[in-house]
Amino acid sequence: MERLAVNRLRERLPLDGPTIDGFVERFGCPIIEGERATFLYRGDVDEVWVRHRVVGLPDPLPLKRIGESDLWAVTTVLPEGSRVEYQIEIRKGDHYERFNDPLNPRLAHSPMGSSSVCAAIGYRVPEWVAYDPEARPGTLVEEHIRSKALRREQPVQIYLPARFNSAQRYPLLVVHDGTDYLQFAAMKTVLDNLIHRLDVDPLVAVFVPPRDRLKEYPNHAPHARFIARELVPLLTERLPLIDTPEARCLMGSSFGGIASVSTAVRYPGFFGSLMLQSASLVFTDIGFDHGGGPAFDPVVKFVNRFREKPSAVVDRLFMSCGVYEPLITPNRSMVPVFRQTGMTVRYTESRDGHNWENWRDRLGDGLAWLFPGPQKFVYE
Amino acid sequence: MSTTILLGPQRFTTTVGPTVRSLGVTGRIAMVNSGWEERESDDAELAGHLDGRGVNLRLHHRMMDVLAKDEHFAAAALAFRDRMDELRAFYGIRLQAAIDAVHAVAHRTSIHAVGPIAEESAMEAVREVDRWYAAELDELYGAVRATAPTDESGTIGWHKGEIGAILDECEAVVIAGGNVRTLLRTMRVFDVVLRPDQSVVAWSAGAMALTDEVVLFHDFTPHGVTAAELHDRGLGRLPGIVALPHAKRRLLLDDHERMSVLARRFAEHRLLLLDDGAVVRFPDGATDLPAGARVIDRTGHVSVVGVA
Repeated sequence: MERLAVNRLRERLPLDGPTIDGFVERFGCPIIEGERATFLYRGDVDEVWVRHRVVGLPDPLPLKRIGESDLWAVTTVLPEGSRVEYQIEIRKGDHYERFNDPLNPRLAHSPMGSSSVCAAIGYRVPEWVAYDPEARPGTLVEEHIRSKALRREQPVQIYLPARFNSAQRYPLLVVHDGTDYLQFAAMKTVLDNLIHRLDVDPLVAVFVPPRDRLKEYPNHAPHARFIARELVPLLTERLPLIDTPEARCLMGSSFGGIASVSTAVRYPGFFGSLMLQSASLVFTDIGFDHGGGPAFDPVVKFVNRFREKPSAVVDRLFMSCGVYEPLITPNRSMVPVFRQTGMTVRYTESRDGHNWENWRDRLGDGLAWLFPGPQKFVYE
Repeated sequence: MSTTILLGPQRFTTTVGPTVRSLGVTGRIAMVNSGWEERESDDAELAGHLDGRGVNLRLHHRMMDVLAKDEHFAAAALAFRDRMDELRAFYGIRLQAAIDAVHAVAHRTSIHAVGPIAEESAMEAVREVDRWYAAELDELYGAVRATAPTDESGTIGWHKGEIGAILDECEAVVIAGGNVRTLLRTMRVFDVVLRPDQSVVAWSAGAMALTDEVVLFHDFTPHGVTAAELHDRGLGRLPGIVALPHAKRRLLLDDHERMSVLARRFAEHRLLLLDDGAVVRFPDGATDLPAGARVIDRTGHVSVVGVA
């Protein structure tokens, strides 16, 4: 195996500014060489770290200064297909600062802000993520629904697929954290593309944002009542939806996954399928010390209770989780629990973390499994 | 008698122009491309291949017109579609289980010669599921015909008159690919009849529509029912053939066990492969496969008709 670029650079000590400039310009950052990633930082500081949330790698990951120069570097293993979000943290005297990698233009966005992205060899953004001029766009309709359960006007965005026709019948997908799925997972574009490619059946999706997420998503009766007894019946009355459980799906990521499962548990048999992405399925086997903080208390209570008496609340369940996120173990553990109930479970893992681009990249697999498209009918 | 020609897909290897010219047709040519659905009117390229002699029957456009103007028929068509979707869902569940049983039985070690008997019985169970579906579908067609007879619809009648007049003056018909469900529905609603003296050139979904049993297949489709599915009866101009367009792209041809199951399931039909560049001629009203046609035989291998 060829020696790493940064090690070849170390042979050229002492390093002057132009040499470092040329190195950074040539290799960029991070430098991906086989299954190795080298992170760089340039600056007059006392310490530098890569901050990430990859389970299995030290966090913070310290960089070392190369010789007496202002270039810092660290190399870590990064298996093929991986995708990692990170930031740089520096210390100068008593001053600490954390920011996106100034040498890396690739960013990912989330409700918490942006992060730098390190994509390993073999990782590719799915081609159905980008806008496709060939794909006829669906439409998004904004509405406010008066909810007795939530005691408020609940905003929603309703996706109608291209060529929407009231003489047709459509399945319904309810998306928790709906605004974030649209903004950070490009879900409208993804739906347009997957439907255009015949991977996914034309469907109606309703994107529902929370108001108080930490209260409403972990097993909250008013939220579940709003979804099952207000939102779905209203949409079924107004839109040409297939009025059967098999054609109704709840989806969500993280706490949104818990909102999906807990709603299905409260209304068993009303929904036919669930799509859970990195669901916060945290539980304890003994005691109640789950380590997730108070926000996870109702989650753990709910999941523990479900594990005590598992039941089939839907027919089909798509689950995905990133192997670099702390939730990988709970998710893996819940797969056999769900399967034991008789639900059909499709579970996939990715070399990614707890982030929106991971959830975006799994949409193709999940939606095509839950709503298989009409490929079999088309012979061009 | 006329000639019927089935072609491979036309997207990358376009042969429809020279094929139609080889028929020596001098008059107008009817074009059926309702399988393209809302793109039906984007037919300039196809018309160009026909040297400007093509006349589009616009079956999809006409169908939309009927659904907009004839409320009684539209309601019946919608009810039929919903019932057929439900029938297909139940058929898919039963079919997949039956096909999985065939493969499970085939993989089980048999010491006392029970295996082959069990496998044939499992295969017969698959055929029974297919028969059940076909019978239920016939019932559905019977019900919709009784509820909303197409010959009682003034709008349909008007369109049928126009279509008939166009077909009367056309020497040949070309039927393009696309969505085979839409193609068949539109041809059925307007009762498109291909005269015995009219030559026909068809490809992809169009080729499937000319047979008597339309079978849907896609071994690479990631989800849903992975087994080939009986869909509907075709026009029956080429009975005894199951047309398999895009075979290399859509079938696991190297999986001989899977292909053998497919061939034995439709034992009374020849499974005809229609890949890019394929040209299969049925001259003078013939319906037997000509020499050179590629088929899947009962062993699950691809063989060539006429080659020992």
